[in-house]
This record gives sequence, structure tokens and C-alpha cells, in this order.
Amino acid sequence: MKPWVFYGLSNRLTERFKKKDDKVKGLSPVFRNSLHIFPIDVGNDNELNFEIEALQSAQYNIHRFGIFFTDSPRHADVLLVLGKCTEKMVTPLKETINQLPEPYGIVVVEGNQPFGLKPKELDLDNVLAYYERCLSADEILSVLLNIMEVKR
Amino acid sequence: MRLLGVFKEDNREFFLLQDEDKFFKSDDQNLKDEFFNYDLIKNRDVLIGSEPVEGEGVFNFRYGPVTAGVKEAGVFNIYTYGERILSVNIDPSYKKRDIERLILKKNIDEGLKFAESVCGNFAVSHSLAFCRALENCAKLDLPEDAVRLRVVALELERLYNHTTVFLKLARGASQNVLTSHLSFVFEELLRINRDFGLGRFLKGVVVPGGVRVNKNANFEDLSKRLLGLKDKFEELYEHALKSYNFIDRIHNTAPLNKELALKIGVTGPTLRACGVKEDLRMKEKGYEKLSVVVEEDGDSLARMEVRVKEFLNSTDVIVDNLAKVKDWERLKGVDLKDFNGEGIGYSESPSGLLVYYVKLNRGILENVYISTPSVFGFKAFSEAFKGFIFTDFSFAFDSFGVHFSDCAR
Repeated sequence: MKPWVFYGLSNRLTERFKKKDDKVKGLSPVFRNSLHIFPIDVGNDNELNFEIEALQSAQYNIHRFGIFFTDSPRHADVLLVLGKCTEKMVTPLKETINQLPEPYGIVVVEGNQPFGLKPKELDLDNVLAYYERCLSADEILSVLLNIMEVKR
Repeated sequence: MRLLGVFKEDNREFFLLQDEDKFFKSDDQNLKDEFFNYDLIKNRDVLIGSEPVEGEGVFNFRYGPVTAGVKEAGVFNIYTYGERILSVNIDPSYKKRDIERLILKKNIDEGLKFAESVCGNFAVSHSLAFCRALENCAKLDLPEDAVRLRVVALELERLYNHTTVFLKLARGASQNVLTSHLSFVFEELLRINRDFGLGRFLKGVVVPGGVRVNKNANFEDLSKRLLGLKDKFEELYEHALKSYNFIDRIHNTAPLNKELALKIGVTGPTLRACGVKEDLRMKEKGYEKLSVVVEEDGDSLARMEVRVKEFLNSTDVIVDNLAKVKDWERLKGVDLKDFNGEGIGYSESPSGLLVYYVKLNRGILENVYISTPSVFGFKAFSEAFKGFIFTDFSFAFDSFGVHFSDCAR
């Protein structure tokens, strides 16, 4: 059996990451070194949920940038809204936003599905970035890094 | 014979049925009483699972739709008195997108987009079943290379889905090093998908009458990368089997017996983990290297073992097919805009049998019914999880490989 811990150290799985510049609003300089994210699925076809899973892979190693996923919106700085909204997810989405501590930001990634309610129709506050397409894991990481960098 | 669906057409109730590799519809109303899963299928958009339980100290612990433990928008109603789970029922309505209604009156290209958007991680399975239904309707035969490339796409989808199930089980048992290495494999597989197809989830690869793959794809290089990942995956599996902390959590957890699995209508790895050797890929072209994996115990460990062994076998199937494809530039698909009629198509998705019934009128979709494996998988989970405790939730649920997006179309 391989000593996997040492294998991981000697054969580096983490890759160098070069972020792309993206037009996003900043949140606060407080988050320059650390950003906590809570993802919420509001009706996406699972592609974005899988991209979030991929974002947590060893290649990206998001913790080195100070990015962490939280288990509760009350611990999050940024809410990542995934997909177009189904009818029944509108209220849970609004309630989740109510639970976010100030200051908070929202990033919306609609995905490519040809149905569902566009989150922009819900007039959400503090939207830092809005994408009407699907983003891959590296694109999501770029967005988050840009949010950390930009000053309000 | 298996009941896969119930749908309305011309104000009559029809049953979508399977007898081995034959699929057909029937309006024989006596079938209603013959199948245990009739009510499950009729109520699949409302509530799936067991009846609520009442009694002293029993309460409904509502899990979802916004919680870290349930990644998708869905709700589990777990009836318990604090420790043992007495009953579970699942509310998929938070994810309901009404796709079977919205797809009507759409043309085939639009319909294909809808089919792919039912469940992104089963995009190939859905588009394949949809396209096969159309091709059956138009009585189209595919060139051998197209068949082989479709096999490659479907098996690539199986690889990353099976990896996710293994990864989630490892994460649930706090096997952090194993999880990290499996996440590496997962991301590499998505990159292989991108290099083979047109995106990381292989959307747009399967089209009516053909396939569309990346024109710069280097099949030799893809095979080499896949075989490298296969070796790594096999080593990780051996490593996992030696961790008692891990195996103890999934051994004997949420077992499902063969009789109940068949009555519910479960297919795929869950059924094969109960000792039933059923896999429609056996009868298809392009599966010369297929060996059907069967386990006997029916528990979470057996389901994981089936998936891991299928992963290893699927890489051989992919490599074999990539080596046999000769000319794939001309397989761009066929225009079916003037066709009338109806057809049924299926695919063996990573979690079981997926079936589409499609009725066409001059290339416009008049009626569509989608039977997905997650409906039956959710019911199987709710039955298998009874009597266990909440800390077993992730080991029980993740081992079934079911998804709300697949269930709540």
C-alpha cells in the first residue's frame, strides 16, 4: 500500500493558478485574505453542484487562498446562488439571504438550462457578480479571487 | 416485466413497461393492481417513501432544502424519536422544473437541450435515451463509429459519477487523504470529458442520428490518461478496503434485499449490488469488453464495490472503443424535422435504467414521458434507511447515487 500522505506531498497534486480578470464588485478589504462561501442550489441541473465539488479538488486547493465553504449561511461572507429558481425555492432563497451576516455579497451563476426563474427578477441586494451561463470550477475560483482583491 | 411509468395520452392512462430489453406502452388498466410500484410512480412528484409515523416522542426532523448535508434543493422528512429512524419520506417538489410540460410543442433541437438539462451529471444518459427514442421513431440505424463514440461518452459519464459516489462516502467517514486523492481523479475526469466532448459534462455530444466530439480530440492520449487514472483509482480502492474506520461505517449499512429492490423497480448498480445480474449494456454493440459486476450483500459497501469495479471495467470499454473508431468526422447527426410517430429509447445511466417515451408530429414534440432511476432509488433509500440512525444518513444516501434533479424533472 502506498503511503498516500507522503505520495501527495512528493507528487504535488495542487496546480499553480492564474486567475482571469473579471468585472466584479468588491465586498470589503476585510475579506482580502479570507472568504467564506455558502452555495445554495435553487434549481440548477446539478452541473453547477458538480463544479462546486470539483472546486474542492486537490488541483485547486482553494484553502491556500483562504477560501472555505461553510455549512451555514450564518457563517458565510458570500452566497453563491446556483441555477435558475424553481417556484418553491424562491422563499428558501430569500430566507437564506436574511440569515447572512453583514456585510455580505451574492454571486449568481444561472447555468445554461432553458427554463426557470432568473434570480435577477427577484431584485436581490448586494449582487457582486452575475453570470447567465455555466461557470467551470476554475472560472468560479477566478470570480472569488477577484472579489477578494477588489476594494469597495 | 417492470413498470417504469404511467402517463396520459388522448385522455387515457398508459403504462410504460419493460420486458428484458423490450420497451412498450400499454393501456390495459388491470396492470394497475399488478405492480407494487404503481403508487410510487403516480406520486413521484409529490412524495416518495414511507408513510409518516406518529407516536409518543416521535417528531419530523426536516432535512433540507437549504442545508450543507443535502447539496440539492430537496427535503427529507425523517420521522424519529431522537435516535432510530422510523420512517423517511422525500419531497422532491423544491426541485420540480416541470420539464415534461415545458418540452411540449418544442422542436427536436430545443427538446434535446431540455433533455440534457434534466440532470447535468446524467446529460449523456438523458440525451442518449431521448435520441434513441427519436431514432426508433424514425427507424434510423447508426454507423458503427457513432455507436462506439456514444459508448465512450456514456462510460465517461459513468466514471466521474461513480468517482463522486466513492468520494462522498470517503468524505462522510472523514477519510481526508482518500477524499483528496479521489477529488483529484474526479477533476481529471472532467478535464478528459472536456477534451473528448464539447464540455466538462459532455452536453451536446449525443445528437439524433450521430455524435459530436471535439475535433481536436487525441484518442490515443485520452486512453493513456484514462489508464493512468485507472491504476490510481485501483490503488485508492485497495487503500480504502484496508481502512477499518471506513469499512465499518458502510458495511451492513442500509441493506436492500433483492425481492424488495425488484418490487420497487430499482435498476443499475443498486440492483446489481443485491445480486441481480441485470445490465442492458450486455446486449448492446460496443460492449465486447464489458463484464457485469454483481455483489450479494445489498448494503452501502456492496453498492460502492459495484461502482468501483464498474469504474475499472468502464475504462477498458472506453479504451477498446477509442481504438476501434476509424472515421468520426462525418457523424454529425440527421435532421428529423419532418418525422411523425412515437418511439421509446433507453440508456443504462450510472444509476440505472433511464427511459424516454416520445411522440412526434412533424418534428414537434407532442408528448414526452421520462422515467428516471432516481425515483426508484429514492424509494429504495427510504426503505433501506429505516431502523438506522441519523449519523448513517450520508453513507446510506450517497451510496444510492440518486439526485433530486434526475428525480424531479
